[in-house]
Amino acid sequence: MIRIENLSVAFDGPEVVKNVSLEIGDGEILGVVGESGCGKSVTALTLMGLSPRTARVTSGRILYDDVTLLEAGKPRDEALYRRYQGARMSMVFQEPMTSLNPTQRVGRQVEETLRLHTKLTSQERKEKVLETFRAVGLKGEEIVYRSYPHQLSGGMRQRVMIAMAVILHPGLLVADEPTTALDVTVQNQIISLLGEINKKQKNAMLFITHDLNLARRLCSRVAVMKDGRIVETGETEQIFEHPVQEYTRQLIQAVPSRLKERKREKGPRENGRGYAAPVVKVQDLSVYYQEGSNSLFGRKKRRCVVKGADFELYAGESLGLVGESGCGKTTLSRAVLGMIRDIDGSVVHNTLRPQMIFQDPYGSLNPAKTVGWLLQEPLRARGAIDASLALSKEEMEEAAYDMLRRVGLEACYFHRRPSQLSGGQRQRISIAQALITNPGFIVADEPVSALDVTVQAQIMELLRNFQQEMKLACLFISHDINVVYKMCDRIMVMKDGRIIESGDTQEIFASPREEYTRQLLIGS
Amino acid sequence: MAYLGKKLITLIMTLFLVSAAAFLAFQIIPGDVVTSILGTEATPEREEQLREELGFNDPPVMRYLHWVGGLLRGDLGTSYRYSKNMNERMPVSELIGDKLPVTLWLAALSTVLIIVISLPLGVLWAKSRSHAVDAALGVVTQTAMAVPSFFLGILVTYCFGVVLKLFTPGKYVSYRQSFSGFLGYLIFPALSIAIPKIAMTARFLRNSMLTELGADYVRTACGKGCSQRRVMYGHVLRNALMPVVTFLGMIISEIVAGSIVIEQVFGLPGIGRLLISSISNRDFPVVEILILYITSAVILVYFLVDILYRVIDPRISEK
Repeated sequence: MIRIENLSVAFDGPEVVKNVSLEIGDGEILGVVGESGCGKSVTALTLMGLSPRTARVTSGRILYDDVTLLEAGKPRDEALYRRYQGARMSMVFQEPMTSLNPTQRVGRQVEETLRLHTKLTSQERKEKVLETFRAVGLKGEEIVYRSYPHQLSGGMRQRVMIAMAVILHPGLLVADEPTTALDVTVQNQIISLLGEINKKQKNAMLFITHDLNLARRLCSRVAVMKDGRIVETGETEQIFEHPVQEYTRQLIQAVPSRLKERKREKGPRENGRGYAAPVVKVQDLSVYYQEGSNSLFGRKKRRCVVKGADFELYAGESLGLVGESGCGKTTLSRAVLGMIRDIDGSVVHNTLRPQMIFQDPYGSLNPAKTVGWLLQEPLRARGAIDASLALSKEEMEEAAYDMLRRVGLEACYFHRRPSQLSGGQRQRISIAQALITNPGFIVADEPVSALDVTVQAQIMELLRNFQQEMKLACLFISHDINVVYKMCDRIMVMKDGRIIESGDTQEIFASPREEYTRQLLIGS
Repeated sequence: MAYLGKKLITLIMTLFLVSAAAFLAFQIIPGDVVTSILGTEATPEREEQLREELGFNDPPVMRYLHWVGGLLRGDLGTSYRYSKNMNERMPVSELIGDKLPVTLWLAALSTVLIIVISLPLGVLWAKSRSHAVDAALGVVTQTAMAVPSFFLGILVTYCFGVVLKLFTPGKYVSYRQSFSGFLGYLIFPALSIAIPKIAMTARFLRNSMLTELGADYVRTACGKGCSQRRVMYGHVLRNALMPVVTFLGMIISEIVAGSIVIEQVFGLPGIGRLLISSISNRDFPVVEILILYITSAVILVYFLVDILYRVIDPRISEK
């Protein structure tokens, strides 16, 4: 039984967690949902005794079965926590790629928990690790034991993390976005595994996520957090069916879900597809990478990453490209844009300068420039290539201001720099940048994946409006099948470099032909 | 094994290129060796005789091949400048063979000093939570890095030689005479070389460890209940060493090439001083061999660094 009473945590500035009270009974899974920055991770880290030294507990206390682990005003008892961490409480983190020490074999890392908390011999420890590996569904446990983290897939690493966390049957298991970094199908397996472990070990589980669908599937109770406070808590179904708070309602509505029918004006098929020429026509496209070899005389190998892609894209249409990471989605889109030259087959488009919207709004805008400068850059580039399209300084500025307004930002943002904007605002700038030259064809590579759900909904709305207004053809890449459902008229499913299924969104969702597509759909 | 073979081929090709470049360079550099040896007063007959003797009348390609052929047989050529006795010129191998141990031992001692002192210092520095220690180490290392090496040499001579009288400045003991005396003298120039490098390496390691401490796997280790000590030595150190090893490689390859200033200050008969005098005397056979030595030494050090990488980080050998 875990009790968090009136917990408030502050870093240097104002409190980021305010009067949070939570209770998790044994065998219960409590979901904490909220958008990034709402304080859910800080709460979890404080509970685990892993919050950075700069964090101060300003009020409240944390109880573990009547033992006070932490109390405001007293320094954290590191020795006490060290006895609990790993043995009675443990945590699974979001990033399985970086959460394991890259220079140690994973077996040894898991075994360290036993070494710290038990008196088992090394033989017994190894056996126990192998047994736990089997229990979390790691096949070939002997090989896994000897592997380094980079030799395992993301899903396997997360299983290793889970094995490390549950090996001593801790009374409390904290999972902080444990599946966010994983592909949909793997996500599913991990979620079921966590559910199973909870049933078997009867531990209290704190499941932190921004994904309401996941919380709904796994948790018996849910607490909704906003700006450091718990705004609503209750039984999961109660919260989802009858949310009391306005914020909870917004959050639930923002989740792209297939259950809600989308409103759609006339599809592009009705406005004359088949008569008009496609904006983009891709025929039997194969894309290759040069696989580098380090040796002095070694031949570079030519590896086929995309095999025989065939599709057409019409004005005003948006075509979804879905598949797991590494399946060749991005490679295909880069080849379509002409950024990869080593291809077979043909790509024809009737627009001159297709544009791209990227996933990471933080990395894709030059931090040294102002928003105004960034918006004018495509115009300048166009003017430099084709003098007849060159605009005067005033015209460019006017176009930039106009675009800023159209993506829903005020004129005062013109002089700001990207670092002064939120993720959603940055993505609006990325969109404005892509559309300012009126390109006719854009590629959007996971444009909303890095955003919170409510922001995600706004950005998708914005994109759809632009698409209808400008008759844009859009190749929309995403791993999130719900987003694709909301955005796209047609879908292509990609696996291992091949397009294995394509068709109308509604049809594919209603009756997928391929087993793989079905898995993807179940996974979401 | 394939990896070793590849490295060996790279080494041979590099040496070949460098040897060709060195040879070519001394064909182009102005100044006549013969005049430089005989002086301006010599008769044309004597000059011609020497030219013939040194093989200057052969075409350059022939001379290069002749030289390389000699190298492969272990014949490093003879010095233009130094003589063994009245009628025999000094073989380069003997000339260098006499001085190389001095430089190598100096390099070895400095390297040991750098590693033995800087690594613990860096770890302690990273671990220290006291602001005073942090600031003090910051100032001390900054100073040590900034002092020019000749001045540091003078300071070391003064402190250990004049004040503490631990060695007699300027009284170099040859390793042929007494090996312990030789090392006892060498330790002080080695210290002069090492001090700034120790400061740099410790700083580097400390920064690297502090960066690593923010990594996700450190949080995982803490979550298991590891103590701070265990986190530092068991998890962070090895990962933090990667950039430090690169840095050490750069430093050591520099030291192995001979430190001219320090050899001068302490009066050591090492490679560095030989190089300078050979260049100004146009003693090209010596210079060419020294260039080849430095090249191979640097390549060898980087090769060792590369192997260390593989030992430290398992991800590298698979790429």
